[in-house]
Amino acid sequence: MPTRLVICDDSGMARKQIARALPPQWDLHVEFAADGREALELVRAGRVDVLLLDLTMPVMDGYETLQAFKAEGLAPKVIVVSGDVQPNARKRVLELGALDFLKKPLDPAQLEQALTRLGVNAAPVPEVRRDLALQVDFRDCYREVANVAMGQAADLLARLLDVFVILPVPNVNMLEAGELQMALKSTEDYDTISAVCQGYIGSGIAGEALLIFNDASFKDIARLMNFHGKLDATAELELLMDTANILIGACLKGIADQLDIRFSQGHPTVLGRHCKVSDLLAANAGRWRETLAIEINYRIEDYNINCDLLLLFTADSIQTFNGKIAHLLDAA
Amino acid sequence: MSTMTEFHWTLEVLQNLDVGLVVLDRDYQIQVWNGFMENHSGLSASEVRGHDLFALFPEIPEEWLKHKAQTVFLLNNRAFTIWEQQPHVFPFRNYRPITGTAEFMYQNITIIPLTSMSGEVSHICLIVYDVTDIAVSKQALTSANQQLERLSRTDRLTELNNRGYWEECVVREFRRQQRSGQKSTLVMFDIDHFKQVNDRYGHPAGDAVIRAVSQVLRRNLRDSDIAGRYGGEEFGVVLINTDAPSALYFAERLRKTVQALTVTHDDQAIQFTISLGLAELAAEVEDHKEWIARADKALYQAKEGGRNRSCVFGE
Repeated sequence: MPTRLVICDDSGMARKQIARALPPQWDLHVEFAADGREALELVRAGRVDVLLLDLTMPVMDGYETLQAFKAEGLAPKVIVVSGDVQPNARKRVLELGALDFLKKPLDPAQLEQALTRLGVNAAPVPEVRRDLALQVDFRDCYREVANVAMGQAADLLARLLDVFVILPVPNVNMLEAGELQMALKSTEDYDTISAVCQGYIGSGIAGEALLIFNDASFKDIARLMNFHGKLDATAELELLMDTANILIGACLKGIADQLDIRFSQGHPTVLGRHCKVSDLLAANAGRWRETLAIEINYRIEDYNINCDLLLLFTADSIQTFNGKIAHLLDAA
Repeated sequence: MSTMTEFHWTLEVLQNLDVGLVVLDRDYQIQVWNGFMENHSGLSASEVRGHDLFALFPEIPEEWLKHKAQTVFLLNNRAFTIWEQQPHVFPFRNYRPITGTAEFMYQNITIIPLTSMSGEVSHICLIVYDVTDIAVSKQALTSANQQLERLSRTDRLTELNNRGYWEECVVREFRRQQRSGQKSTLVMFDIDHFKQVNDRYGHPAGDAVIRAVSQVLRRNLRDSDIAGRYGGEEFGVVLINTDAPSALYFAERLRKTVQALTVTHDDQAIQFTISLGLAELAAEVEDHKEWIARADKALYQAKEGGRNRSCVFGE
């Protein structure tokens, strides 16, 4: 009797990677779900012994799914597999009834140990490739790479500041020149400085990160960073730079680690100080083309802090990036 | 090429790089100090090695730098600081008598984590960039732009706002009003029989009169009020958070001050008066143009009524 295992993740790439990480010679019957709602249906139908559950998903996220199991008295064995690796995320899902927590990118050895701990039948069967049938598009792959990277950035922020960072599903889009202009222009309307740019380049992939604070509430950022001095323009700049260092740096490192490359980072530029947004717009408007953009909206629980991190890749990078992603997908 | 040679070359290059390299351990004791740092500080690597960075350089903002360094140690993440935060972290003097542009070196600093065999961040490296020329030219550009901006919105003769910029301000105030619902009043005024002043005393005297009125106006303004030269001898003032009765008080004081004023030009004493029209912003006013038109209408009424007086729109 094989163990019935369901992989629930909104990302096709993640489903493929998790399927590939399953012990190839174990007697498993594997099904897939693209969000919590689908997983819940399968559990209700009595078709699930073990559920590998993602947290950040549209429709119904991992937390909501666990809550639904509790409410309905359903008790599949759940292992959370998430890019959101904040200490608090782990604590919360264990409280909600999950039996284990594994972080993305998933280590096959850890998965095997976790399954063993749950007493999953390891009776040997002929080796199978479980991921062959899965088709994945590139946008989905970018989203998953960003998902893991932003989770690592959030983890750093969470550990440094002892907060919980609310993570959304990242947006991956081809950004029109006009949309970029609008995003930049929006930063000009604030009295305070509210955006930081930083270039990055490595192994044929290059671009610029743009971190925009929406309705920058420096009072909240100051509270968060344990800053007690007078909140003048200098202090605001410091707080902005500290946050940018963490969010941009950690997110880029997360992406670089997954692609097995390293980025050099240029020095950050604060928009609105000695670099006027209107001048940038005037100088570059004709040069901007449609570009690949990964957009992540970070919010911090219990604080009025909300920022958008945009990673804009140069057109020249996209081919190399696609190649690296294809490699990620095919890696045995 | 042997690994030894390559290693030797790397050291040689780092030593000669025109960028500062400093390696610190967890106690902020200096472990590496390259040629750039030696040359700009006047302290050799052997003199500083093993010494506390902050003891050697009390000028370095210790708490600030430690805060940045701590996150690098803790998170194994790079940190960047730019000259706009701390212009001169290391107190290095300008060393070029001819082409130097500032007294001290402006610096950007990157802090990178260095991990030990066990994967722990045991040291950090400060990479110090000399950005003096960039900082100085950016600052010069910013101040030139500010000056240009100021010039482009100032009227030469009166040094009040010129008409274009003043109207922009009126538009902004009109919009702000719509949101806040507070009361503001617009005052338009001009110099009575100004043509006669010009004809009788000459244009330079006319200019002197306009300048004198501007001075009186400026002395009577609060910081938040916005005054501009609207046309030849016509002026406009937005009195922020001021209703019509209070604005009338302002207008009358201005009128009486001008009436008592004597402008002396080429030994000729010139006396003159002004007429003023006021319009408080009301809900039914559709745009800033209508607001100005209302004040203009009140001004016309003051003229019709015999000049040297203030009239409020609708009264």
